[in-house]
Amino acid sequence: MASFARSSLLRQSLATTRSSLLRQNVGVSQVVAFHASARKQILPPLPQKIEGTMNDPVPTPAPHPVEGSYHWTFERAVSVGLIPLTIAPFAAGSLNPVMDAVLCTLLVAHSHVGFQAAIIDYFRPHRVPKFSSFCHWLLRAFTLTTAVGLYEFETNDVGVTEALRRIWNA
Amino acid sequence: MASLRTTSRLFAASRPLFRPASFARTYATVDSNVSETPKMKTFKIYRWNPDTPTEKPTMQSYELDLNKTGPMMLDALIRIKNELDPTLTFRRSCREGICGSCAMNIDGVNTLACLCRIPTETTKESRIYPLPHTYVVKDLVPDLTLFYKQYKSIKPYLQRDTPTADGLENRQSPEDRRKLDGLYECILCACCSTSCPSYWWNQEEYLGPAILLQSYRWLVDSRDEKTAERKAALDNSMSVYRCHTILNCTRTCPKGLNPGRAIAETKKMLAA
Repeated sequence: MASFARSSLLRQSLATTRSSLLRQNVGVSQVVAFHASARKQILPPLPQKIEGTMNDPVPTPAPHPVEGSYHWTFERAVSVGLIPLTIAPFAAGSLNPVMDAVLCTLLVAHSHVGFQAAIIDYFRPHRVPKFSSFCHWLLRAFTLTTAVGLYEFETNDVGVTEALRRIWNA
Repeated sequence: MASLRTTSRLFAASRPLFRPASFARTYATVDSNVSETPKMKTFKIYRWNPDTPTEKPTMQSYELDLNKTGPMMLDALIRIKNELDPTLTFRRSCREGICGSCAMNIDGVNTLACLCRIPTETTKESRIYPLPHTYVVKDLVPDLTLFYKQYKSIKPYLQRDTPTADGLENRQSPEDRRKLDGLYECILCACCSTSCPSYWWNQEEYLGPAILLQSYRWLVDSRDEKTAERKAALDNSMSVYRCHTILNCTRTCPKGLNPGRAIAETKKMLAA
């Protein structure tokens, strides 16, 4: 009984508030156009559908022998290894062709892994299959060219460390 | 809101013996008698209606008097829906940050509307959007189907083959239990996942911080016996390793959890 009375009271007072608010102005609200999408899309939009039914989990990818944790550990080891190698020749003040060779190898590996991560992030095979593999092959070509170039520089010229020292002192 | 207050006052007045009228229980409001000058604040809210799919999404602005509104964004949204525009659509349930329904992007930060205070500065408008990079069902309601499907894929339940010692409970030492602190509190509101740029680009394959935090919660659980299988399921280039430690997840988490740390620990577990 009490709740019945309360709900009717509520309705009445709600009605009065609403009308008073409308008089205040707020009933009229501005509507501004919102540009969520670019005029011209680079790629056609993906189909907005769900793979499988609502209750299926997303498929779990098969474990990869090199791409997962092994790749990550390798990447971190290279990054950590580069820190002493970049400082050592300048701190020690001596030149060692073996150190130079290791530094160049790690530099090439480090930049290759870094660019590879960028390609994996931004060009997915399911979205741009041809361009994705093109980017990967382009990166391999660039890495190979850099490696060959550094080898030539090390064997026929002064080497990376000495070149940097000369630029620094010039 | 004000009306609710008057009604309950009337109601309470009939039983003054049990509780004073000032303790009348209502929703969060501010007493309208206290201040005279209205503090009008503009709220700009993302609107899109699936019934008219050809119309572009718009930003609709509403003005509310902060003196008559509760302190939280959810109070403002409920007041707009109750008093200004009943067509405004958003999810909400518990109003105390435990259900994760009202996750949305408020003034550029993914958060729960019920845990986000309305900035008292009235000269600046507040902008409210649905969670970024999600398909919008209507207005502020995002489609989280993929998110839940991903959650299901990590098998978020205890997996054991051996029966327990006493046949009753899976016992755990206090130290092992302590490992789950900061993980079990996650309410899966999807604020962190939808703030992650890696998840924006690759949400079809990358699991995202919220799911990886849950995954880590089961990886470190001492009672779970399928740790090797769980690790194998993550050991590929996409599921975990698209995390580039941007740490937007940790920054945005409305519950103050640290998904970034959970992912880092997962990577360490996988590497070992």
